[in-house]
Amino acid sequence: MSGAFDAWALPHGVDAPTRSSLSLVGGSSQLRYLDSDPDWLAQLLDVLADARVGLLDRRAGDLCAVLGSVGARLLDPHDALRKRALEHLPADSGLSPEMAAVVLDGMARDWTEDRLRALLVSEFRDVAYLDGFVERDGRSSMAVGPRLCFQVIAGSVPGVGVSALIRSLLLKSPTLLKPGRGDCVLPVLFASALGEGDPELAAALAVVYWPGGSEVLEGVALQRADTVVAYGGDESVAALRNRVPVTKRFVAYHHRFSVAVVGVEALGEPQAEACAADLANAVAIFDQRGCVSPRVVYAEQGGAVSPRALARLLARSLADLEHTLPSGALDGAEASALHQVRGTAELLAASDSGAEVHHGGGASWTVIFDPGLTVLEPCLGRMVQVVPLADVAQLPDILAGSGVHLQTVGIAGLGDREKGLALRLGHAGVSRVVPLAEVPFPPPWWHHDGGSPLGDLIRWVDLGDG
Amino acid sequence: MTLSQGRSPIKAGSAAVDFDALATELTARFSEGVDSPWSDSDFGALASRVFEYQFAHNSTYRLYSERRGATPQTVRSWREVPLVPTDAFKHLDLVAGEAQGVEAVFHTSGSGTEGVAPGRHLIPRLSLYRASLLPPFKAHLLPDRERLRFISLIPSPEELPRSSLSHMVEVGAQAFASEVHWVVDGTGLIDRERLEGAMRDCRRDGEAVLLLGTAFSFVHALDQDALGALPPGSRIMETGGFKGRSREVASSELYQSLSSQTKVSRDHIVNEYGMTELLSQLYTPVLSEGAADGGAHVLPPWLRVRALDPSTLDEVEEGTEGLLAFFDLANAGSVCHLLTEDVGSILGGRLRLAGQVTGAEPRGCSMAMDDLMAASQTSR
Repeated sequence: MSGAFDAWALPHGVDAPTRSSLSLVGGSSQLRYLDSDPDWLAQLLDVLADARVGLLDRRAGDLCAVLGSVGARLLDPHDALRKRALEHLPADSGLSPEMAAVVLDGMARDWTEDRLRALLVSEFRDVAYLDGFVERDGRSSMAVGPRLCFQVIAGSVPGVGVSALIRSLLLKSPTLLKPGRGDCVLPVLFASALGEGDPELAAALAVVYWPGGSEVLEGVALQRADTVVAYGGDESVAALRNRVPVTKRFVAYHHRFSVAVVGVEALGEPQAEACAADLANAVAIFDQRGCVSPRVVYAEQGGAVSPRALARLLARSLADLEHTLPSGALDGAEASALHQVRGTAELLAASDSGAEVHHGGGASWTVIFDPGLTVLEPCLGRMVQVVPLADVAQLPDILAGSGVHLQTVGIAGLGDREKGLALRLGHAGVSRVVPLAEVPFPPPWWHHDGGSPLGDLIRWVDLGDG
Repeated sequence: MTLSQGRSPIKAGSAAVDFDALATELTARFSEGVDSPWSDSDFGALASRVFEYQFAHNSTYRLYSERRGATPQTVRSWREVPLVPTDAFKHLDLVAGEAQGVEAVFHTSGSGTEGVAPGRHLIPRLSLYRASLLPPFKAHLLPDRERLRFISLIPSPEELPRSSLSHMVEVGAQAFASEVHWVVDGTGLIDRERLEGAMRDCRRDGEAVLLLGTAFSFVHALDQDALGALPPGSRIMETGGFKGRSREVASSELYQSLSSQTKVSRDHIVNEYGMTELLSQLYTPVLSEGAADGGAHVLPPWLRVRALDPSTLDEVEEGTEGLLAFFDLANAGSVCHLLTEDVGSILGGRLRLAGQVTGAEPRGCSMAMDDLMAASQTSR
């Protein structure tokens, strides 16, 4: 157990408010957060906004190197920064220590200089667009980042906050990041490390946690920022969006969920075990809390291994993973909901529904094989449903009704049907179709929820009309 | 009665004979009243017979129990009888015996998950339900009188035939009301004219009143200034006032307003705790003991409650909060051992409610209420 963690990082020279509060996280460790008041926050935002002048003189490629060096520290097993992160992550995120290390590796891999440079190239082709006008095909344009960016993070997956602040800092935008409960440690440590390495860049970044939704504090930030990025459930994102003036940019990452589809080509005797292992891994990483986490596995009938048998293999793989990557603890509400859903599924399985339930007891993993039930339940730890499908071609129609919330479809065993199915899934609302093994960690340049991670934040400036 | 699709048919058995005998015995025991507690062995013996009956006549529950290694032969205590989550009532008809032969079907009011029908509880014998609800009703609402005039802010059974709460009020009224005024319609909308007429008559006649309502209905009545001073000796039964919010805050504010508008003192405002899935009710014993105990609920002797650890479902220590699990012999016709989503602690055999666990702050990304919403959730 570690001591209280201070859930803030401020630019050098900005004093914290004198009062702070302690709050229990996960029942054991504590989070200390500032009792921010509106006046203080307004001053902080002014300081951040002033820091933009210095950033505009920097080259984007240089910012890549600086930000990437902090990312590299988080990957270096001998670095004190990584050790500190791993010490505090389990209590902060609710993930087991083993899982926290895997998640940190998977996330920080994308925070290195090479990957960030690749992100810039993917988004702008020529990084120089961020540093001034670039002439191409007879027209001259420049990409300008937000004047002041306010980002609100959900907190369900640790690391999302750092990815978010990197995006706006790469665009030379001063950033106030309000991390979510469960994702405070990494942004705070990242910002502190940035302060040691590059005070000028760090002067444009503040990470400040406050509990729940504070309309007053948010109001101050919404008033001063020109770009707002919100991660969270539909209701919370909508509540924020409704208060953002039309003249400001609002980027929403609302509730999303993902599924997997396994075709018969992956359901031969030898392949199915590997497929089940990949599925189990995708379910286990983030304990099903990620928007990329597959909540339902659609398995095609007609292979040597039936969907029912795949569910059993998946259960075995999840049981194995419990030794190497144990589940995190659920809070009371999640555990209660888990027992309601699991017990109900077991009763349905005991009726003549044809359902089958496997679980690891307590608040660990659950696999529900059910030919009839496809009710999406809230994130309840490693709970996943396996649903049989006569033909994978049915999937786009099944998912069409959920299109607005669809994100990733992890695939296996589709053979030459892959492209055709991906096309139809795309039309149904899916924004990412990838092999099962790639599901948990999308690369930095992915079209996040179908958008452009940097492109959605910038404003193009044309010099002459070409 | 037509059973809705998606619910499994219940296999026929020789239920009727067995259940009649069991129901007759339970009815007789319930009718002894709530004054003397039942010993553990007394309760346990009845509980094991009821489990044996349910195991024999509900094939789904039998298989569910067998998969947990629980059969009438292996179960040594009612605590080991497999728990059924209350959510299951949304998906299955949990009745022992013939679903077609039941006398009533009560529906839960909770909105639940989108696309899932509300839960329903099939009641094979209304007489058993009646036998279980009257003694606690009398003991906690009319300990000092035989009859009272009822004014109900709960819709009548004619308006809401599927509401167990409406049924309960009607059964109570049949037994103990000199007259009953139903003053809301099926949607809970107050009929101002009827309410004012009823209040006027009571004041004119000086007859004490039992005013019954949900917390929700009282909030509406107070907002409309629809309630006035009630005659001396009047009392109030409030139910369902705390879901998703701090119980203390919610009920103390409500009771204060109720008390000042009706002139009914706090020790004459009784809280009833019940749910469609659980046929027995719990009450705060303020009329017999005063309001000193701070809102603990008393159980009838045929009901047992435990607080369980939310993860392991192991029983927590006395006085510690946990998920509430009930074993209710009044549920003999369906399933007795229920796991709820309500939180509370047990002290000296009484229940201290803490609220509903779903009001907590969840972490998952797909939860509708996430970190940002926590503040507005708690103030709802």
